[in-house]
Amino acid sequence: MFNLTRRQFLQYSGAAGAALGTTGLAGIASAQEPLKIGVVYVSPIADIGWTKQHSLGVDAIKAEFGDKVALTVIDNIFMPQDAERVFRELAASGNQLVFGTSFSHGTPMQKVAPRFPKVAFEHCSGIVHLANLGTFEAKYYEGTFVAGAAGAHMSKAGKIGFIGGFPIPDIVGPANALLLGAQSVNPDATCNAIFLNSWFDPGKEKEAANTLLSQGCDVICSMTDTATGVQVAGEGGAWSIGYASDMAKFGSGKQLTAFTLDWSSDYVGAAKGVAAGTWKPEARWDGLAGGVVKMAPYNEAIPADVITKLKQLEADIGSGKIHPYAGELKDQDGNVKVAAGSVLADADIRGMNWFVKGMIGKLG
Amino acid sequence: MDLFIAIFTGTIIAATPLIFAALGELVVEKSGVLNLGIEGMMLMGAAFAFWAVIAGLPMPVAILAGALGGAAASLLFGVLALTFLTNQYAAGLALAIFGSGVSAFLGRNFGSAPIDALKKIYIPYLSDIPVVGPMLFRFDPMVYFAIVMFFVISWFLYRTKGGLVLRTIGESPETAHAIGYPVIRIRYLAVLFGGLMAGLAGAYLSVAYTPLWVENMTAGKGWISLALVVFATWRPLRVLLGAWLFGGMTILQLQGQALGIAVPSELLSALPYLATIIVLVIISQNRQMLALHFPASLAKPFRPAT
Repeated sequence: MFNLTRRQFLQYSGAAGAALGTTGLAGIASAQEPLKIGVVYVSPIADIGWTKQHSLGVDAIKAEFGDKVALTVIDNIFMPQDAERVFRELAASGNQLVFGTSFSHGTPMQKVAPRFPKVAFEHCSGIVHLANLGTFEAKYYEGTFVAGAAGAHMSKAGKIGFIGGFPIPDIVGPANALLLGAQSVNPDATCNAIFLNSWFDPGKEKEAANTLLSQGCDVICSMTDTATGVQVAGEGGAWSIGYASDMAKFGSGKQLTAFTLDWSSDYVGAAKGVAAGTWKPEARWDGLAGGVVKMAPYNEAIPADVITKLKQLEADIGSGKIHPYAGELKDQDGNVKVAAGSVLADADIRGMNWFVKGMIGKLG
Repeated sequence: MDLFIAIFTGTIIAATPLIFAALGELVVEKSGVLNLGIEGMMLMGAAFAFWAVIAGLPMPVAILAGALGGAAASLLFGVLALTFLTNQYAAGLALAIFGSGVSAFLGRNFGSAPIDALKKIYIPYLSDIPVVGPMLFRFDPMVYFAIVMFFVISWFLYRTKGGLVLRTIGESPETAHAIGYPVIRIRYLAVLFGGLMAGLAGAYLSVAYTPLWVENMTAGKGWISLALVVFATWRPLRVLLGAWLFGGMTILQLQGQALGIAVPSELLSALPYLATIIVLVIISQNRQMLALHFPASLAKPFRPAT
């Protein structure tokens, strides 16, 4: 597997072009053509976090296909204007399947995809579908619901703290589910929410976590791309809930669990589809049932009977017996948003821009 | 009361990296040199200090390594801007980008192993005083060191001959040169000092404040420090107060969000910037005072006549 920075990629693609010019088409004549796949990461691959989990998905392709696949991985592409060029180059250089892994890759992919109708594009956290552009996304809220239940079992104060990047539906929804999970155990539980208004600012994240601790929260869930929230909670003697990766090693033994992301099925599924010629643009949206969302091992401090209950809850959500957004749901002002007996529609989940009752915080 | 103590101590800690970096830049600018590369020097400092800690070196050595990392980066700027007289804006921006890239490159091998953070020290007896104890006497040593550096720099700039020479060079390098001062050498020293301080700021972030390695962990604090120097109208006390104001508003807006006050979080997040700008604009009304403290030769290249 190649693991290239943007600059190396440009050098290599230039060199490859030159090589092709001198050797003619000899290379293409070889009998077994590997499946060529390009992947674009939004940040470098760290030990934990969003991009790390995507790299595990790419590793799964490698494990499945072995030398029948040629992967080109380009990291640290965030800005849409950079991304457009990179996607175009990947498609033009013969990749049959191209993955984008960030919401910010959406517009560039929508521009590039129509020009390469024979290339399959897959966009994680995307919302727009085209004839050759599919999307995949995780049901984070199923994970936060279970994590919230775990938090409420262990919390003494019944106060949970949540830190998110921006107040967008992909973050607001999981925050709501975190509290709803907690309320399924302790109906009086509340959740204080802070938005950093930045995707990435460890210093501010630390200040936010300390703020939540000072206001009496004793469980902290930080849906950001660093382990700072888990770390600060642990130092302050509070429980924590990790996101994307298992962050237990940062939590001073206080991480209750983490809702981790495993995109393997999305990556391998798309690659198999393209290899077999059966790929179609889909809108895949999986959670605990599909294994895209997985709960990290529960903290040993949680009593065994509670862990049994939490595992049962995971299974019930997976089977659809329990829906995190099942009615009756009220918003902060007490208005009924989902009537008893019904559940929030999928489109409303993807567009959730209101807080449930018990959330402390203000959405713009 | 506990909430008040939390806000107060949070403010002091959040302001510490800003104080280091902005005071360093203040000295650089007082010598008539504008180094826009604080962000890059901070990241170099953060990377070197973190590196030293995972290599098993003791904490004071790691912090020193961070400071030296920042200084090494600043030397690069010095050579470009002072020896080769390139445009200081361009050289500074180049340093900011360069530092971010080099620190990211170094950080590739760090993994994201957690490290033992710089320990807080509870000053005996004093830290046990109710209210005042937890407010003032339970910080890590770097917090106190930042305050010490404020006094040292204020004293140096306005109470020593060296400070007078430095400020003279910032006002009129030609004059200083004519009466025999080595302008370039002194400007080099100022730039190196700025690098050391930015390195300390970065080291504070990576080994004390958020003790884990993440790329670009300064998240814009270098640029905020740069702006603080300008808004503080090149005066050390205002740099200190500006840093506290900024830190305090950051903590307050987070507290406000978590309390659920009826203001959208986007607006609250802008509050520290707005408040700092408004306060410093108001206290900078007096144009004569402004002209008095502004280093007249700022960012102008100087070649000694031979």
